[in-house]
Amino acid sequence: MTASLSSVNGDRTNGAVPVPASKRKWNWAWLGLVPFLAFLFLFLLLPAYGVIRKAFIGADQQFTWTGMSDAITKEDLAFRQSIKLSLMTALLGAVLGTMLAYAAATAQRPRWLRSLVTSFSGVAANMGGVVLAFAFLTLLGTQGVGTKILKTFGWDLYEGSFRLSSFAGWVTVYLYFQIPLMVLVTLPAIDGLKTSWREASSNVGGTSWTYWRRVGLPVLAPSMLGGFMLLFANSFSAYATAYALNTGAPLVPIRISNYLQGDVSGRSPMPFALAAWMILIMAVAMGGYLLLRRRAERWRT
Amino acid sequence: MADVTPSVSGAAVRRRRTARLGPNLVLAAAAVFFLAPLLAMARFALQNVPVIFLGRSTLFKNYSFEAFAKAFHAPQFQGTLVLTLKLAAATVLCTLALLVPTALYVHLRLPKARGLVEFLTVLPYVVPPIAMVAGVAAFFRPNARWFLNSNYALVPFYVVLALPFTYRAIDAGIRSIDVRTLVDASRSLGAGWFTTMFRALIPNLMTSIVSSSFLTATVVMGEFTIAATLSKATFPVFTFQYQTSSARGGVALALLALVGTTMLLGMLTLLTRRGPRRRAVARF
Repeated sequence: MTASLSSVNGDRTNGAVPVPASKRKWNWAWLGLVPFLAFLFLFLLLPAYGVIRKAFIGADQQFTWTGMSDAITKEDLAFRQSIKLSLMTALLGAVLGTMLAYAAATAQRPRWLRSLVTSFSGVAANMGGVVLAFAFLTLLGTQGVGTKILKTFGWDLYEGSFRLSSFAGWVTVYLYFQIPLMVLVTLPAIDGLKTSWREASSNVGGTSWTYWRRVGLPVLAPSMLGGFMLLFANSFSAYATAYALNTGAPLVPIRISNYLQGDVSGRSPMPFALAAWMILIMAVAMGGYLLLRRRAERWRT
Repeated sequence: MADVTPSVSGAAVRRRRTARLGPNLVLAAAAVFFLAPLLAMARFALQNVPVIFLGRSTLFKNYSFEAFAKAFHAPQFQGTLVLTLKLAAATVLCTLALLVPTALYVHLRLPKARGLVEFLTVLPYVVPPIAMVAGVAAFFRPNARWFLNSNYALVPFYVVLALPFTYRAIDAGIRSIDVRTLVDASRSLGAGWFTTMFRALIPNLMTSIVSSSFLTATVVMGEFTIAATLSKATFPVFTFQYQTSSARGGVALALLALVGTTMLLGMLTLLTRRGPRRRAVARF
């Protein structure tokens, strides 16, 4: 195959510069990726391109920033709420998730605990959506069992501003998938903490606190920070859970769907500009996560 | 460990116990936080006692599957469930048809493309479902309405949605076996590419193929965003709508979906544990 192809390929390479045979063969091998690339092009890149195009091209077919800036100014509340919610659940999720992962990784008894935590995290991290919203409604809704139990202990949940359909409620519900996601992200890093490091630290007189401050946390930091960014992205893009709790929630994903359903003509750039912002934010957060993950793998052997 | 070495002083044992106090509290709190919503949901679906009347005397009264039975007889139940199962099957088939050859091809013929393909498979994270729907509205709605009218229009988007998980599962499976030797052995025995693929490679990749199929199925069975926004009557969409007319019925369906997916994932764990040394599933 190589011989027959290289002659065909020969006239493509300008003739002047001699190209190594391996390089010529290779051009053709890329053809094998065509089905995969075509599929992604059609069903991932074209929709993404459609969003970006509609966000930046105005009614007069000219490039414009107004769609994007309008989205920010008109949906200022949604952006603020979404970012606040994502920061809050990512921060809480990262800290609590790392604590849970550490507790599960270092527990010696019972033996099945660790695999239970990992498997359950796999389920819960992907739960989200309608099921999760319903579960919390039956627990902490106005008529929830948990609400009633807390009341008998003298804590009236609904006395203040707590509602499952508003900020504090979203945070509580989102943590149900954020914490397990963090567990899955940090568990490998926690396994990478070698007992010999701890022993070395205590041999030179270090306390538990010095160990964590000087060894443990610096080693875990890239995974924790990476996990934080992943969680931020995860929360910022979550739609179904928030929608099932409150179909009119002032959050960016919900606003996108409200606009899409309200304006079928597709002429308003609003939903597309919001989606373009979301893609941008996702790209930054996921890029940060991937870079930090590479950094975190340095300690793993 | 302290019990094995009798010379360890009582103080050291105590110190270890107090050192475990924090982690054990974390585990206990996590157990409450993660189990309580599930138990509350199960109680709500199974017990016909409003919370106001719930007390010591009524705690174990009126349990039945009546809410499930009612939901099963709802007019849309069967149709939406069948549609979701069909979508899951179609998505699994498409995923496998697309990814198994691609991953094998990259492994055997184009190792240089591995970085690019891996990068492409994580791209769906950058375009979350709700942005994808906006993209569908922006591109497919004006250009290919006929395509969106079919319920199966969801399939390619579900393939993309599950791509980060499924590609990794298949790729990990391929890396854990010696594909090149298998191919060389099969070819030298006179087998064509078709026979090599179906009689040598696929049987050896069965664990990762099954696990990526299960992952795909769980994604499809829980997907709400795209289906709801494109007005397709899938099972999750029906669950959400049914809840507005029958609160207990909706919760019963949600519970059913949860038990279903958990069982799939549980089977997956068992399967991969027994399989080859490498973990075939890695969440991104």
